[in-house]
Amino acid sequence: MLYNKYFNMHVKSSMQYRLNTLLIAITQVVISLGELATVWIMFKQFKSVGYWGFYETLLMFGIITTVFSFAECFARGYDEFAKLIRTGTLDRMLIRPVNLHFQIFANNIEFSKLGRVVLGIVVSIIALMHLAISWTIYKVLVLISVYICGVVVITGIFMIGAGVSVFTVENLEFINIITNGGKELSFYPINVYNKWLARIFTFILPFACFNYLPISYLMGYGSLPQVIYAISPLVGSLFIIPCVLFFNWCIKKYQSTGT
Amino acid sequence: MTKIIEFSGICKDFKIPLKSKGFWGGVKSLFKRQHKIIHALKDVSFSIEEGDIVGYIGPNGAGKSTTIKIMSGILTPTSGDCKIDGFTPWKNRKKYVKNIGVVFGQRSQLWWDVPIKDSFLLLKDIYKIPTEEFNETLALLTKVLNLTDLLDCPLRQLSLGQKMKCELAGALLHKPKILFLDEPTIGLDAVTKLAVRDFIKYINRTWHTTIILTTHDMSDVDALTNKIILIGKGQILYNGSFAEIKHKYGTAKTITVEFAKEYPQVELEGYEVVSHNKNTAVFKTDNKEFNTRDFINHISEKYELVDFSVDMVSVDEILAKLYTEYDI
Repeated sequence: MLYNKYFNMHVKSSMQYRLNTLLIAITQVVISLGELATVWIMFKQFKSVGYWGFYETLLMFGIITTVFSFAECFARGYDEFAKLIRTGTLDRMLIRPVNLHFQIFANNIEFSKLGRVVLGIVVSIIALMHLAISWTIYKVLVLISVYICGVVVITGIFMIGAGVSVFTVENLEFINIITNGGKELSFYPINVYNKWLARIFTFILPFACFNYLPISYLMGYGSLPQVIYAISPLVGSLFIIPCVLFFNWCIKKYQSTGT
Repeated sequence: MTKIIEFSGICKDFKIPLKSKGFWGGVKSLFKRQHKIIHALKDVSFSIEEGDIVGYIGPNGAGKSTTIKIMSGILTPTSGDCKIDGFTPWKNRKKYVKNIGVVFGQRSQLWWDVPIKDSFLLLKDIYKIPTEEFNETLALLTKVLNLTDLLDCPLRQLSLGQKMKCELAGALLHKPKILFLDEPTIGLDAVTKLAVRDFIKYINRTWHTTIILTTHDMSDVDALTNKIILIGKGQILYNGSFAEIKHKYGTAKTITVEFAKEYPQVELEGYEVVSHNKNTAVFKTDNKEFNTRDFINHISEKYELVDFSVDMVSVDEILAKLYTEYDI
């Protein structure tokens, strides 16, 4: 498969800078541990937020760290799209007889982000071991869909940013507010926030669809019918459709840069 | 001969946001952006025949790169139509680009950190080139461009000239029908420049590839082709034979004469003395009927000559003249 070939090229490239990649990965894990410490200190003070205890929140932290870093690793092309435009890489992609989205995925893979992916998975497992969940096959499926939905939603947000940078030719801070802001927001259950903020991060930028809502299903919390919590990751994944459409529209308007 | 490229009435406008000055200007532009429309191409029409090498020339910012980008399907024109090998480049992009190769002189299409050979192998998969055909083509390109020692090196270790050779090979692995070269000789030393030119000619001859190249180096054009398209301020100014242009604008000649004795005050009708020192004088003429023998006969009747030489105006000067004439 063509993606494998690209993947091998990335492996070869980053092998040239093994130590560098490793150090970046370690640094990022340390930063994430710092964020984790903040969550822990908060809970030492307050013990719980509504139903939500420390381990539920830890699971949310694990999920968002995993999916965000996974998207940063494999959907890096959208995240750094302005760079692709400036360096003429986009022009080069457009003269290749291969789907553009495929090329954007295949062209940029950032292995140093995998450190955080591992951290996120480890944290998720620790949290799940401490939570009293009566496991059923549905709950396992929902848990899996949570991670998929997370990656899909984050990738979608990267795509919006990429589309906007077609016009600005630089990365915009407001996209960082959405991505990083959404990430930080996702460390805590969404019911601690202002109603409007909660709605935005449920219905417009569906972060809640891969943490607060499905975790409510796993734990059996919440006042809505359980099925709504269960299918929320599936519904949230639909977010990618408008993102792809928006990105494609922006590419049609692409003006290229001078030589 | 069949026309492989047909450009008819292509216009391309760019919308450039105007940057307002100062802090409040910046704040204002957040809410209301003002735009400036730049007409990069204005009603550009031309056609190119299959198997031709065409020099696409013009000063910086004339619209050369924009044209190449439209022809390679990267940009969509504002209006007008373009048919290349039966395709409209910006529609059916994936099918169309299989037939073209593009080299941007200042940008690389190969991987920075992996051996050149690996980049080529990836291109093999991207273009779905059958293994046998790929090996054959690569062997040929390696031989003609002398790449044997380079294939195992990563791109970052190569010199500019070596890089350009590899870029050319990379753009030709899938044997495109049409090759676009955007300033292929920029920054190359004399030897590499000659090698690249020879290679371009070779490919054109053996594969019958149609080649469109933009360049600022008129000696490229002189060495490669007799067909030029001159563009300035987004409009086609001249489309035709290079020889004709040379004939029209390149009539000025300078004649350097060394006299046996001290330079006498010579006055010849139709000749201007540009400079002189002790024994030599430089004459200049615009006369189209200039004939070396007549001139020598004429002057040696009166004076004793030791040596003389006749120089044509360089192609660069011709181009400079053209640019001034068209005010571009």
